[in-house]
This record gives sequence, structure tokens and C-alpha cells, in this order.
Amino acid sequence: MIGQLGRYFAKLVADGCADAERSAIFAQDDEILGRGCDALRPLGQAVLQRLNTVSLVVAAPPLPLLEVLLGRLPAAATEITPLDTETRTFLHDIPLVRRCEFSVARPQRLVELLGRRKGILVEGVGIMATGSFTVELAYINYSSVYHALFIKVLLDLLLHAAPTEKELELLRPLWAQLSTAIPESVERLPPPAPDRQALLRAIDAAGRRTVELKLVDSFFGNISCRSGRHLYISQTGASLDDLAGCIDLVADDNSSTAGLTASSELIAHRAIYQQTDAATILHGHPKFSVLLSLLCDESDCPVEDCWKDCRRVRSLAGTPVVAGEVGAGGIARQVPPVIAASGTALVYGHGVFAIGREDFVAPLLAMIRLENYCRRDYLKRLQARLPAAARLLPVRAEGSP
Amino acid sequence: MNGWCGRLLTVDLTSGRIAVEALAPELLQTYLGGRGLGVRLLRDSHQLDPFSAALPLIFAVGPLCGTPAPTSARLAVVSRSPLTGTIYDCSAGGRFAWRLKAAGFDALRISGQSRTPVALAITPQGGELLPADRLWGLPVAETVQALSDRGSVAAIGPAGENRVLFANIMMGEGNAVGRGGLGAVMGAKQLKAVVVAGDRRVEVLDRPRFDQARRDIMRLFRASPVIFGDLGIAEYGTPALVDLMAQRRMAPTENFRKTLFARSGQYSGPAIRRAYQPKKDGCYGCPIQCKKSTQDGVPLPEYETISHFGALNGIDDLRSIVNSNTLCNQLGMDTISAAATLAAWGELRGEFLRAEQIAPLLHDIALRRGDGERLAQGSARLAAELGRPQLSMSVKGLELPAYDPRGAYGMALAYCTSNRGGCHLRAYPISHEILRKPVATDRFSLAGKARMIKIAEDSNATIDSLVACKFSFLGASLEEYGELLSATTGIEYGPQLLNEIGERIYLTERFYNWRNGFTAADDRLPERFFTEAGSAGEGIEVPPLDRRRFAEELARYYRIRGLTADGGFADPHYLEHQP
Repeated sequence: MIGQLGRYFAKLVADGCADAERSAIFAQDDEILGRGCDALRPLGQAVLQRLNTVSLVVAAPPLPLLEVLLGRLPAAATEITPLDTETRTFLHDIPLVRRCEFSVARPQRLVELLGRRKGILVEGVGIMATGSFTVELAYINYSSVYHALFIKVLLDLLLHAAPTEKELELLRPLWAQLSTAIPESVERLPPPAPDRQALLRAIDAAGRRTVELKLVDSFFGNISCRSGRHLYISQTGASLDDLAGCIDLVADDNSSTAGLTASSELIAHRAIYQQTDAATILHGHPKFSVLLSLLCDESDCPVEDCWKDCRRVRSLAGTPVVAGEVGAGGIARQVPPVIAASGTALVYGHGVFAIGREDFVAPLLAMIRLENYCRRDYLKRLQARLPAAARLLPVRAEGSP
Repeated sequence: MNGWCGRLLTVDLTSGRIAVEALAPELLQTYLGGRGLGVRLLRDSHQLDPFSAALPLIFAVGPLCGTPAPTSARLAVVSRSPLTGTIYDCSAGGRFAWRLKAAGFDALRISGQSRTPVALAITPQGGELLPADRLWGLPVAETVQALSDRGSVAAIGPAGENRVLFANIMMGEGNAVGRGGLGAVMGAKQLKAVVVAGDRRVEVLDRPRFDQARRDIMRLFRASPVIFGDLGIAEYGTPALVDLMAQRRMAPTENFRKTLFARSGQYSGPAIRRAYQPKKDGCYGCPIQCKKSTQDGVPLPEYETISHFGALNGIDDLRSIVNSNTLCNQLGMDTISAAATLAAWGELRGEFLRAEQIAPLLHDIALRRGDGERLAQGSARLAAELGRPQLSMSVKGLELPAYDPRGAYGMALAYCTSNRGGCHLRAYPISHEILRKPVATDRFSLAGKARMIKIAEDSNATIDSLVACKFSFLGASLEEYGELLSATTGIEYGPQLLNEIGERIYLTERFYNWRNGFTAADDRLPERFFTEAGSAGEGIEVPPLDRRRFAEELARYYRIRGLTADGGFADPHYLEHQP
């Protein structure tokens, strides 16, 4: 248990979604254990011991996203509705707790809400998320709430009130980060060779690189490679950066059901292979690609639930944007017909599918380039909302808007 | 009161008295329905012998039954098991549950013993006992057919009449109240069948909230590869697990001597599809439709049945396995215990049965004739009687299903801690150890498993009380079902509260068992799993369980549960503090 706590605490920090100095992770077996900031221990223990769950993350994002959000929400707001489809599918609404509603001696409100939802936003703390079964699950839920918060705040800056000077200052580290492109470091990815072990190594390496480049939220995404009348595909819930033993072999003719544990996007992967000449597929959730996929200039549109009901094919920098639900929902119908031409497809509020004809270099490169474009475009759009004198970046650097 | 009817139908078969009683709203809100309500209603009679006339047999539906909540047209039947001696419940789907609710009842409590065979007919006005002499001895399908003009039927077959210790109660559409022998309890009461008709609607208090939760659940079902994936149970039924268990090298073979049956591909999900071109079937109102049947409507076997009549007995003949399933259904017998008892007998004799020997023996068991008289007692009594008790692969007398504990350590622990004996469904760790839901755990590690099993047992006690199907939770969670329940009843139920309810139900069951003499000594796996390895290969080792580490995790489980080191209760007045 201690090992798991150390591992996921390190991942939270390495992912860039938690500040090591203001974060902690706890788990209860027959006693409560914790890793991280000691000052959070009393609160973590007070909450976790009242819950029928295994683990709890109490952490502050490195960026003051929650502070920005709170400044934009009505004082009476008690929850936010995630805009990205992954979080919306698995987490629903995310409750919001104000500073005055709890203390270490009075954690009931936190317990009540965490007894109802997997993650909550807590003023003065950041994000609290539980794991009903494992330490990993608390990490996943935390990461999902962080992803939802990130998308929500940054989209709000584009679509609603223009950012104030204070908000720009609070998020300044982000603007600097976005002005630097994600490196196109794909040159040493091994090609999928005919033998099984080499092929598994190629998938493993591509998955790991995708996570290292932060083209996912937590470690989610999926990856596959065609091999004769079979495909190798990552298992459902597998960490893209730890795929050893987590890749299923699925026969085209369904002669075996041993691939029952394959990714929920198996249906989409199969349909893509059937309708294109793809040899590899990579699917990730790069933040700014997800964010810009949510922008739509359609007016008077009768569709209300765009993320699942929209049937338009929009375009973002030459990449088709379609809508569709996860798994046996619409992605398997909407993505395959549009992905061949550009090699990529962006799913509304969800993520990017990219295909390769030979190896994982092309899809990974395509995903990096799309995300870099979206980062630059986001800055450009945000800059356009500011008064002429206000600059997001003090010095124009290469790749900045 | 929304979601509940507030009515209990009580039937005393000895006197023939039938009455409608009120159920207190607080009781329903605290125990929900199904398993929880049934367990609560047994409080004053949990120490009665399973064949005592006074012991109640309780049928209980849940607050979501009758609503469009996915997979919720189910009930639980609760009593004490003649096979295990434990408190016992089993959940089953089908129209019967829906009609019992539509007749205006949350539960049916049957006690006493009729002098002659009877059937109980229920309508919204109450109940009526019908003579059933002419039905006695009939197989299940004919019994159901004979009563079907009066409504939906739950019936026993010859096995229940003859008190076979693993006799089922069968629902009209083929669903089984299986495993622990509640069919024998019904048979001992000379009750051949219950038939129910009703047409009342169940009102949902907050329909928009309910519809939103339902949409959320359906979306999660579609996102679950196990449910609606290309290779999932909606396509192949639970036999989709045959290939997976073989690949994971944890398919119990030849009475658990091995964990791989090389010819399991003969009866895998795809093999069944090729042989039968099955149609989708399933419980009433269920969107998953995981059951499969032949084009003529004959139910095809579930994973556990197919694997145990297959690998466990060393048989690869699909037609024979399907026939065994059909026979058990008609005779009203549990397929897992029947197949496992035959496998134990095979090892005891030194020779496993051939496919053609199975059907005659199943008849003999149901009719208690010849070797069937011994086999009808289940594998634990059989093996003890023959002087080799260690060859019964059971816990608390309940035969283990088709997940070898050496291939999933949480499953191993959960077999021991289950209140009804060696059952996979109390904590269902296969969900995370094999199917990776809600998150994958290391199947060859016990680290953290005590807490996980405890939490899952609590959750599943709640699920059995709602009553919903556990397969729903390979996609959705109590978060979404709590929303359905809150929207239906107007009372706020989140996962935390639901788990607290589940914990109370679980501990109540454990207390009943403890009062009936069960201790840590009964939370024990067969010796084989600690001394013999499974079938290694393709990079997978299946070593024996580490006895010391296993005992350590079991002890941790007791501490987490608040039990004594012997698995009992420090407070002998535990029940008095419960609502």
C-alpha cells in the first residue's frame, strides 16, 4: 500500500496536475496511511476514516485554476458540469465546497459530498477525489476532475467574460508554457516488427511516449496495431505508459473472446481498420485539442447535446471534428469515415484519433502537431479578447501568437 | 411513499391463513428491499432448521422494480440453506418480480408446511392456495405451463420436491433462484409453485432526474467493453468468459486438479454461436440481454454451468453440456453444485464421468435413487461420507464456481468471507481482478484485498437489495443507481449511505451465521489450493496460495469488519442496536 501511495503521488506531481508542496494521498487498509504534505494529513484522515472507500487524494493544482473558476462563478454555485465527454460520462457533475463549509473538526460536508460523487472542488484546498477500490482509482478520479477543471476554466476565458488582469497574472505560468511547442521527439520509436515481442515493444514504447508528452489526461487513451488477421490493442483502463501484460490480441473473425478486456474503443479501432489502410492507431486526450473541439460557430442549431448528437463534420486545421459517445456509442460510426484523408480525427470534447500506415511515428507526430497548433491557436484567440495594451506574453517567442 | 408498496403478504401453509400486513416505511427505507428486507424479516427465525416448518421462505422485490431502471426487474429469495446451514439469499430476474410488485407487495413471507401439495396464487387482493397434487412430480416447464394463465410463475421441480440440497426455485422464463437449495426449502413446505398477477404501476417521484440517471447508466453500459463491446456479454452471453479464463489459466479443470482445459474451445462463446446461432434473450426489462437461447427458445448455459459440466468434469461435448443445463433447469437443480458434485465424485472414484453418463445421473439425483441419493447431498457430505472430505471443492459446503482461486487472490479471499459459502457473487472480485472494472487490480497479489472485498461485499449487499443485476456494475456504479433510487423515492441515497446499508445487511447475515455456530474455522478454502499448483504456461505461473500470507489478509479482513480474531462478534447484542 505504501508503495502504491508513493507511486501515485509521484505520478500526480509528474503529470503536472498537483503541486507537491500542497498535495497528499491517503489510503486505508486496516489503518490509514499517507504520502505527501503533512499539513493535509489531519483533513485527509478526518475525511477518509468516515468514508467506505480505499483511498483519497487531497491536492492543489499547480495553477490556481480553482481560484479563477470561483471568481467567475455566482456566489451561490454549488457544482460545475464538466464539458469534456470523458469526465461527463464517468463523473457527472462536480460539487463545489466553500471554505466556510468545512474544517478538520467539521468535515461532514466534505464527507457527504464525497459520499455522493467521486471528486469535488474545495475552496482553499483544491481537489479531493476518492478511490473506491484502489489507490490508482483516486489518482484517476483526481486527474479527471483536474482535466475537467482545466477545460472548463480555459474555455470560459474564451467564451464568456474576457480575462481580467488578475486572472491573466494568476495563469501567467501557463501562457509561458504554451508558448513553447511540445517537442516532436518521435525519432526513436521502434517500428512494429512481424514478431510478437517486437510488436508489443513498439506498442509499449509509443504508449509511453504519448504519456511523457502529456497528450493524455492521467494515463488514459488507447493504442492498437494491425497484424495479419488480428489486431493488438491496449486493454480497457490500461496505463498507456505501462502496457506490459496489458495488450490483448483480437481476431478479426471473433474466433476467440479472450479479448473481452480490450479497450472500450475496440469497436472504433476495428471500424477504422476496415475502412482505411491504417496499420496503427493512437488515441489520446491532448488538452488543447479537446478544448478547441468544443468551439462551434453554428448559430440557431437545434442540437442540444452536441457531444453525442451533432452530426456535422467540422474542421480544425484540416482535422475533421466529429461527435460521438465512448465505446459502443457514436465514435465507431463517426470517426472511421473521416479519418483517412488527414490521418487524424478529433472527437468533440473527447480526444484525437490518429492513424499510421507503417508505424507509430506518423500518428504520434500528427497528434503532437495538432496539439501544438491548438495551443498556439488558443493563445491567439485569447489574445484577441484582450485590450491592445495587454499581452499574454511579455516577449514574442517563436511559436507564440 | 414512492418506490415501495408498504405491504407484506404472509402465508402460513400449516393453517392456510393468508394475510396482508403493513411494512413500516422506516424498515423499507433502511433495508431497501430484496436481500436486505428478506434478511431483516428473518431476524426472529434465523436459528430455525432449514427444513423446520416454521422457517420462513421470503420473496422480496426492491424499490426500483416496476420502474424503467435498467436490470431492476428482479427479486431476492431469502431463507436458511439446507446445503450450507447459512443464511441464504439468491437474486433472480424475470417477470415474476415485476408482477409481485405490480400486485402491490414488497415481499411475500411463506411459513408452515402444507399437508398436501399446493400452489399459491397471488393477486392484488391477496393470496389463495390451490391444490397441486396433479402438478407434484412434474418438471418445471410443465408446471409453469399449467399455471401460466394465472400470471407469472416460480416453481420447483422434482429436485425440490425430493429435498435435493441444491434444488432451485425456477422462474417461469428460466431464471433460477440457485445455489443454496431454497427449492428444497419450498419442497419441504409442499409448495409446488407461486403464481402472481398484478397490474399496478410504480410511480417515479422525479421523472426528469430519473431519466437523466437512466441515460447516464446506458452511456456507461455502452462504454463498457464487457457489457456492450464486440466480444462482450450482450453478444456472447457469459460464455464469453470461457476463452478469457483459459487464457488467464484459471479455468477449474478435473475437480480443480488443473486450471486449464485444452479443449475448452469446443464450448466457448464463439463455438456456441457457430453451433446454435443463438438469439439474444434475458431478464424482463433488461437492456443487456446477456442470456442466449436456441432458436426454439431453449436457454443455453451460462459460463459457470458450461465450464463446470465441461472442464471440471473433463468433458468437451457441447451438446452434452447444453443437455445437462436443460435437464437441471427442468428438474430444478443448481447447475454449479450439480456439476461440481459430479466432478468430486469422479475424483473420489478415480475416474471422471463420460458425457453420456451425466444425464442419467442428473435424473437419479433429482429423484434420489441409486447413486443419486448420495449425490443429492452435495459434494461436502458426499466426500465426507466417502472418507475424503478434502476432495469437496467447497467453502461452507457450497461448491466453488468456475474461477480458480489460485488465479485470483481476491476471489480466494472472497470465497472464504462470503456469508453464503463459496460464491463468486458476494464480492465479485472477478470484476477488477480479471475484467478490469472499475479498475484493474493485481490478481496474484493479496495487498489491499481485505479492504476491497469488504467494500465490494457491502456494495453488492446493496445491489441485491435494490434489486439490480451485478452485471450493471461492470459499467455503472452506485453513484448512478443512487440517483435512480433518489429520483424514485424522493429520499437522498448516495453511494456512501448505500454502502452503509449494505454493511448493516452483511453484518446481520454474518451475525446470524455466528449465532448458528459459524466461526473463522468455516472461512476456509479446500487444502488443495495451498498445496498444489495450477496449470502454468505461456509465461503465467499459477503457484499454490501462500498459506501464511492468506491467513494474514483474512485476519486483516476481520479487523476491518470490526469482528473478533475468530470472525465473531464482540457484542452479542449486535442485533438489538440495529433498526
